[in-house]
Amino acid sequence: MPALDFTSSDALTFGVELELQLVNTRDFNLAPDADDLLRRATRDAPQGELKPEITQSMVEINTSVHRHYAELLAELRATRNVLAAHARKMNVAIAGGGTHPFQKWSERKIYPTERFLSVSEKYGFLAKQFTVFGQHVHIGCPNADDAIYLNLALIRYVPHFIALAASSPFYQGVDTAFDSSRLSVVNAFPLSGTMPFVRNWAEFNRYYDRMFDLGIVASMKDFYWDIRPKPEYGTVEIRVCDTPLTVDRAAQIAGFAQALASWLWEVRPEISPDIYLVHSYNRFHACRHGFAGTLVDPVTGGSRPLADDLRETLDRIAPHAAALGSQDALSALHTTLSQGNDAAWLRTQFASTGTLTDVVRKQAALWAG
Amino acid sequence: MSATDFLPHWPPAANGFLVFGLLLLAGLLGGRLAATTRVLPAITGYIATGFLLGPGGLGWLDAGVLAQSRVIAEFSLGLIVFDLGRRLDLKWASHDRWLLPMGIAESLLSFVELFALLHVVGGIDTLEAAVAATIGIATAPAVVLLVTNELKADGPVTRRMLWHVALNNVVATLGITVLLPFIEARATGASWNPVARSLWIIAGSFLLGYAAFRVFTLFARLIGKSPAPQFILTVGMIIVTVGVAEVSRLSVLLALLVLGACARNLDHEHRLVDVDFGRAAQLFFVVLFVLTGATLHPHQFGPIAWVGLAFVVARGLGKALALFAFAWPAHISARQAATLGLALTPMTGLAIGIAQPIYDIAPEFGARLSAIVVSGIAILYLLGPIATRFALIRAGEGEPAARD
Repeated sequence: MPALDFTSSDALTFGVELELQLVNTRDFNLAPDADDLLRRATRDAPQGELKPEITQSMVEINTSVHRHYAELLAELRATRNVLAAHARKMNVAIAGGGTHPFQKWSERKIYPTERFLSVSEKYGFLAKQFTVFGQHVHIGCPNADDAIYLNLALIRYVPHFIALAASSPFYQGVDTAFDSSRLSVVNAFPLSGTMPFVRNWAEFNRYYDRMFDLGIVASMKDFYWDIRPKPEYGTVEIRVCDTPLTVDRAAQIAGFAQALASWLWEVRPEISPDIYLVHSYNRFHACRHGFAGTLVDPVTGGSRPLADDLRETLDRIAPHAAALGSQDALSALHTTLSQGNDAAWLRTQFASTGTLTDVVRKQAALWAG
Repeated sequence: MSATDFLPHWPPAANGFLVFGLLLLAGLLGGRLAATTRVLPAITGYIATGFLLGPGGLGWLDAGVLAQSRVIAEFSLGLIVFDLGRRLDLKWASHDRWLLPMGIAESLLSFVELFALLHVVGGIDTLEAAVAATIGIATAPAVVLLVTNELKADGPVTRRMLWHVALNNVVATLGITVLLPFIEARATGASWNPVARSLWIIAGSFLLGYAAFRVFTLFARLIGKSPAPQFILTVGMIIVTVGVAEVSRLSVLLALLVLGACARNLDHEHRLVDVDFGRAAQLFFVVLFVLTGATLHPHQFGPIAWVGLAFVVARGLGKALALFAFAWPAHISARQAATLGLALTPMTGLAIGIAQPIYDIAPEFGARLSAIVVSGIAILYLLGPIATRFALIRAGEGEPAARD
């Protein structure tokens, strides 16, 4: 088995994958129209790529590679407009959000590609339960060792990303009391979790070879980690975010990731393996309570509100955001921090309308811009 | 007074409960039997049961029983037609500018093909051919909705199919209503202006549907959005609308389609919940199709069946031609157009629904009409549900294993 090659890419370039919900406009349940929407919209999509996902009520936007937040935002808005226009002609709507509030997973249909059918065969009912919607952010890395460092350094900030993007309070028709219930679905996969503590790419390759030889993985795609290196793209991929309710928020979160990566590579804070002691706890708190969660610091031994740490982080990386042209993204996230995330918005809609059907209707209207 | 007066009479007389219950149980058995074939939809089993028990078979369901059960059939049809009206999404038609032209072309071309077959080829009288061809425009709403529910079908073909069915039922109902004065004039030599009747039916049915919608939303505002009260409200509004339409001699079908369409398009404050009629309604649908089957007779499948077959082919060709002609501008794939055309195969019966006013006004004309279209309808009762089922499965939108 040859060693994994890491393709070099320009540092701090970035791109986004967004998994989106297709819903009908009658009762706003999920609609299995991915095939038709992709057939119609692919030729009109401005840049990037439109792809199917595991079940037929999902589509995925892959943006092209960008250097600046404004360009990424413009592309996401243009793609959204194309998708929304085609969806309207099909009498379906598109919505953001990490979960569909009331769909029944057993009613979903696997998208019939070889890969998705094999995932379905391998994971049984988990494949259909995986009808949840996430945002992945790719950060370009000049070399493999920088990618490994960034991957480990970002683990501390997983709760921050979760809380900022949380948009899945409702699942299978109930309020889960979580801000992000989506990650509980991901947790069920055997290769979910966190990349092991390795110091460099050579060490990572030894780990990968071992897993490959044991027959546990066949490719990097088999790891469902929160953050993972993506050697063929030359990126580190942050995978913990719910799909936000708007493409604007998705771009802001990507801008945050880019500025944070810039700061981490410049300052190079030391990474302690002790982060693994607290990671699951911190992650759970962010999923459950969002900004109101607690963050435990294994180095200082203290704990503090996640919102405080996030605010400080936003201030700390502000100069990097300014240099990269993404200060607007960070100031929008500051507002989110004080006014509430998408999960809070969804709960407010439910409180005012009383039905989850109305919540999805409003979700879809919000996404369409 | 004898000592045995408290005992029931012998033989016991069938009452409404007994008829409903027995039809239900017999239909259930037929449906399950059809399901075991893995090819036939349950509806085919219900229809076959009705045929077996009806005048054309064992004769257990005689005209009296059928008349007694008509209210059940009309109620079932009411639920279905209202549900269909909810699929008439005008906002969709405004976003997809080909949707309405495609639907109208599908209706008109099936009319033209049928009229040409009956009048030009078959030499049938102009008015009779026009009425028969108008009836042929409509796809049976009950069949397509039940097959859709049975397969839990959803997707672009299913959505378009239901839109076409809703639209072609509106077109056919309006067409028949427009033709009514001519039928009446011929039957009775009416001296008053018979156009007034058509105007009354069309305008009255639209007004009734709209007025019912306003009452519907008023009640909904009072009761809130909980599904259970909304379910009762919806069923109640449907029954009241059927009742008022019958008393006022309006089109039940049109009034309910308008009610459903208003609920879909004019409920700007989102007061109404899109309730699923579910298993409760399934009870009535089983009985509806058993009764439908009872209207069939073996002679309809005899030599006259060739007429019916030609009718079926001409109708199908008309629909398919329109769908394929509009497929490219409407961004529909050839496969979707083909499955859509096949899915629209089922044809509605004569006893209730679109053709009912003809029987009320001119029974003799109705009898001649039956002679023309009855074998086509008989064939489509058998083939229609199977075709819709096959089409939705081929379109990848219905799951054969989804029956319950």
